[in-house]
Amino acid sequence: MSDGDISISNLEKVYDDGAEKTKAIEDLSFDIDSGEFVGVVGPSGCGKSSLLYLIAGFLETTDGTISVDGEPIDGPGTDRGVVFQDYALFPWRTVMENVTYGLEEQGVSKEERRSTAQRYIDMMDLGGFEDRYPKELSGGMKQRVAIARTLAYDPKILLMDEPFGALDQPLRESLQDQLLDIWRDLEKTVVFITHDVEEAVYLSERVMIMTRRPGTKKTVVPFDLDRSLDREEIITSDKFVTTKNSVWKSLREETQPEVQP
Amino acid sequence: MAHADTGSLGVLPRRFQHATRLIVDWIPLAIVVVLWEFASGTAVPADVLPSPVTVSVQIADLLATGEIFSHLFVSLFRFGVGLGLSIAVGVVLGIGMARSAPIENFFDVFLSMLYPIPKVALVPLAMLWLGVGTGPAVLVVFLACLLPIIMNSYNAAGDVDQNLVWSAKMMGTEGWELLRKVVIPATIPHILTGIRQAIPIAFIALVSAELVASYEGIGYLILEAGQVGNYSLMFANIVVISAVAYAFVTGFEIARDRVVVWT
Ligand SMILES: Nc1ncnc2c1ncn2[C@@H]1O[C@H](COP(=O)(O)OP(=O)(O)OP(=O)(O)O)[C@@H](O)[C@H]1O
Ligand SMILES: [Mg+2]
Repeated sequence: MSDGDISISNLEKVYDDGAEKTKAIEDLSFDIDSGEFVGVVGPSGCGKSSLLYLIAGFLETTDGTISVDGEPIDGPGTDRGVVFQDYALFPWRTVMENVTYGLEEQGVSKEERRSTAQRYIDMMDLGGFEDRYPKELSGGMKQRVAIARTLAYDPKILLMDEPFGALDQPLRESLQDQLLDIWRDLEKTVVFITHDVEEAVYLSERVMIMTRRPGTKKTVVPFDLDRSLDREEIITSDKFVTTKNSVWKSLREETQPEVQP
Repeated sequence: MAHADTGSLGVLPRRFQHATRLIVDWIPLAIVVVLWEFASGTAVPADVLPSPVTVSVQIADLLATGEIFSHLFVSLFRFGVGLGLSIAVGVVLGIGMARSAPIENFFDVFLSMLYPIPKVALVPLAMLWLGVGTGPAVLVVFLACLLPIIMNSYNAAGDVDQNLVWSAKMMGTEGWELLRKVVIPATIPHILTGIRQAIPIAFIALVSAELVASYEGIGYLILEAGQVGNYSLMFANIVVISAVAYAFVTGFEIARDRVVVWT
């Protein structure tokens, strides 16, 4: 069945701006099942965003392949949707017009566009703000519009690049829980980049830790939290705490300067 | 002072602030006009520096006889055609240069050459090519306005947020559609800034061209009045064209803020 699995093999990405070559990603292989929620953490500059934009098809691979549902990707496609850290909303479009954009491109009729968009606008608790422009919204609201915009055209795969990085703690937590609900209800594959270990473990089913640049897969920590519990019970559970610690330790080995004997 | 940023106006009730600000803004001009009134006929001979009252009477006269309107119409026509052409050409070239390296390489050298030329210095050349009248005026206005419009469009279209382009691509927008749905809307506020910068430049170019190469238009009227020694009429024409230019700038700014409500 083809519904959003990702297969990455021997991926390499070298940026070449003429004067200088930067190897961002080296020999990275990793498979993600459809419907899975995978967290990605790694030191700053290790190539996390590069990995995400390669999967999105925005950047070309230097070597190796990325396949979605068994097919090597060829540029961006509507089977994958990115949520950017800086929201990347179209400033000249209202909330409603931003959320309907993807449907517009698919040639969906106007009434259907609006009713579908409205569903996601309501889901993201943005009712009443349909006709506002992005500049009139707070950071948290913009991020919710960005999520609604990506959900509205129904990509199988959500690629999220530190989407909650700029938000304060209470807002982050509420958006994290909303994202978990959406993931469960809509059965999306999610690749979620964050620099926050707790966030990665709270949201994901597996966390991939990347090495410092050139980034590659260091380890993958799988775990199985009891999702029927509420946030407080989860984050105080032994399993959560031990998982968090092991991810944190693994990440710290990459961020600490190497001690020479 | 407590209200350092708003000046002492900050202590006034809001509804008075606007009116007060307006008065404060115009005080310097009022002072100059009053000094001018006193200087005319005392410090400076009145026929060289006619007093504001004389000039105002002269303006009222011009408007009453309607004599000025046909010239004003000619001037505004030249202004409109020259500026309109520079917008049409400038926006296309600016965006084209930003999005295509061959176009950029081809036109870059011409822009570098055009940039330092005082466009008004081209009036004699424009006369040589196009004679006297509307042709040279339009050409000079066009050339003078072209650079601010190209540069603003070019910089903005080359600087469109990468993530906006990617957002559109991931939702299925491709090729020329990216231009229409992302690059152009993202560039519009900056195009309008370019036009705003071009309006006063257009009036400078227009009047300069009409002073030399025209038998019609406000620039011609200014020169003609000077030549026959009617300095109050010359001043009246200068004031009229300045007021028209000011009205265009202000009107354009108001219209712009209505159009790009999203910025
Ligand atoms: N367009 C580019 N041209 C050249 N080098 C680039 C480009 N984009 C990224 N890089 C380099 O590639 C490396 C990886 O960048 P990337 O943005 O993928 O890292 P990241 O893990 O997302 O970092 P952060 O945690 O700070 O967001 C960095 O060294 C960066 O400087
Ligand atoms: Mg990044």
